[in-house]
Amino acid sequence: MTGATLRRRLPRLAMPGITAIGVKELRGRMRGKRAFVSVTVYVLLVAGFAWMVGRILEDTVRNNFAWDPTYSSASIGRGIFIALMFLQTLMISVLAPASTAGTISSEREKQTLDLLAVTPISSVAIVVGKLLSALTWVFVLILASIPVSALVFVYGGVAPDDVVRGYLMLLITAIGFGAMGTFFSALVRRSGAATGLTFVAVLVATVGLSFIWVFMRATSDGAFTKRPPEALFYLNPFVAQVDVACGAENNTGSWCYIIDEITGSGVNFIPQAQPAPAFDGGKGGVIVAPDGQAVAPGVGVRDFVAADVLAIQRDRYWPRSALTLLLLAVGFTTAAVQLVTPTRRWRPQLPGFLRRSRSPRGLRRGSLRVFGRGPGAAAQ
Amino acid sequence: MTSIVRAEGLVKRYDRTLAVAGLDLDIAEGEIFGLVGPNGAGKTTTLRILATLLEPTSGDAEIAGWSVRRNPNEVRRVLGFMPDAFGVYDDMRVWEYLDFFGRCYGLPAASRKRIIGDLLELVDLADKRDTYVQGLSRGMQQRLCLAHALVHDPKVLLLDEPASGLDPRARVELRELLRELRSLGKTIVISSHILPELEELCTSVAIVDRGRVLASGRVADIEQRLRVGAVLRARVLAEGEALEAARDWFAAQPDVAAAAILPDGIVELGFRGDEAGAAALLGTAVASGLAIASFSRAASDLEELFLQVTGQDEPVAVSA
Repeated sequence: MTGATLRRRLPRLAMPGITAIGVKELRGRMRGKRAFVSVTVYVLLVAGFAWMVGRILEDTVRNNFAWDPTYSSASIGRGIFIALMFLQTLMISVLAPASTAGTISSEREKQTLDLLAVTPISSVAIVVGKLLSALTWVFVLILASIPVSALVFVYGGVAPDDVVRGYLMLLITAIGFGAMGTFFSALVRRSGAATGLTFVAVLVATVGLSFIWVFMRATSDGAFTKRPPEALFYLNPFVAQVDVACGAENNTGSWCYIIDEITGSGVNFIPQAQPAPAFDGGKGGVIVAPDGQAVAPGVGVRDFVAADVLAIQRDRYWPRSALTLLLLAVGFTTAAVQLVTPTRRWRPQLPGFLRRSRSPRGLRRGSLRVFGRGPGAAAQ
Repeated sequence: MTSIVRAEGLVKRYDRTLAVAGLDLDIAEGEIFGLVGPNGAGKTTTLRILATLLEPTSGDAEIAGWSVRRNPNEVRRVLGFMPDAFGVYDDMRVWEYLDFFGRCYGLPAASRKRIIGDLLELVDLADKRDTYVQGLSRGMQQRLCLAHALVHDPKVLLLDEPASGLDPRARVELRELLRELRSLGKTIVISSHILPELEELCTSVAIVDRGRVLASGRVADIEQRLRVGAVLRARVLAEGEALEAARDWFAAQPDVAAAAILPDGIVELGFRGDEAGAAALLGTAVASGLAIASFSRAASDLEELFLQVTGQDEPVAVSA
């Protein structure tokens, strides 16, 4: 198909196709009590977690010697927000691939893909429609948790744009890992194998690549001058959320140290004053200035705090991670479309020695057989 | 009549297996065309190529003038396909199933509703409209699958082993349905290894083996061309020596190749002549004083044909 015909056909066939697939998938997914129950459970889980984190932080802060209502409330709010983002990143990293990893392989298992492939709807519509409707379910979960996350505004310490950043990253995480699931679902025939492979891939993308970075960092000679590429972390949405957390701390704080360690983009010991919480003292706290003199209660510590601070350039790291995940999604979706197209032009050939071993004596047939339309599929 | 399905030199090769080896087809509009052959003959592969699900290694096929290679999307619009093994979606009601495929073909909402009603009437599932698809019997699912292939009012229907797994009653119903579809002007291509089924239904057949068409055309034409002749059975009201005498009399007639006695006084004849010859033979037999209670063609002609053409020793499966 030439580029021109593709352009002509895409708008004509993709949209109604995506709608058709979407309506069908969502009818199945949202029918009955299942959707209601899963959203309820998810929100209760997130809310319960937020409450517990809040309690822990309140206790910690109350026992802290620098007990100050304004500052403490803000730090509790930030703590809850960051904890919620991590929890949700974890849950989305599991739920998004889980909900997409069966989409296409189950059509093959149920022998319904052929019925779909002989209709005029394009493979693009099949793959994108399925991906979008699976993600819709995940998006509903994410959106349903917004009211819970909005509770952090009661405590303060988090700006609305921090919440927007965090949620944007959650949605992009769902898209990236969801597309990964769709790809493996198109690649292997069995849903079980597809799910397994997807989770392995998600683990490699998050833990695996991050560990390689840690390894390279630890074993490199000039440990302080030469950093391994930060791109190794781009597929790890947790690190992107660390950057969001760093932003919520006004780019100065403990989370920023992690980002600084990864990117080296932090500027230590900024001479200018940074906005830091004013300290009104009078509650038993004693602040010691660099020269060893106790600062009198009531004296602002703004300049003192600012003197030893790490500031990370805002919105530098997480957008790169988001972009990488989105590119990954586009790549995986394109590959999945190729795999679903019945008369595709390119067909990855297994090396000869592998093909020979696909006899009954060799590789076990079926479980990990790549591609639905192999020789066995239609030998008659 | 104009041909609506044409295949020229179709070849499909999988690694080292040649599934279809230069297959030609020419199917006229309005026919019910049978693709007969043993398992592994290349029937399914051929149908999947026609349905644009497989790309031929070489050769091309046209459906209603569109090439399956160059215009697969146009082909899909004029084609309804029912694979031999097909599944149904869970979590879907009967009307939703048809509605989904209606959307896939881009039918507008208003006509979709009307078409679904009509199709459910046609396949006799109108009272199952709101039933979940997985709750239907196998025969009903088969009819629903047929209905889905008709959603866009295709010119050509490709049915791969449509009767496999159906009980006799469901088979009869399916046959009636296919006749009705033919009367609506559809061209129907059926593959099957169950010969009697096709013989009753098909206007033409192609006998396929090892990926090639060995013979094709109207059943009678193929017979004629191959001079296969027919097996005739005459029930003679005689016993013992009289029956043997009757057999010998038949065996002595010019067009009779062989004659044998079966139980119940039946004499089976291998007959080389055409139908006029058979009528003449009956006349002569009656005139020469044989008491003949019945006189008819025996067994399945198609089956005979099939064995002759494919040259197989072992009998071909006659039922699922």
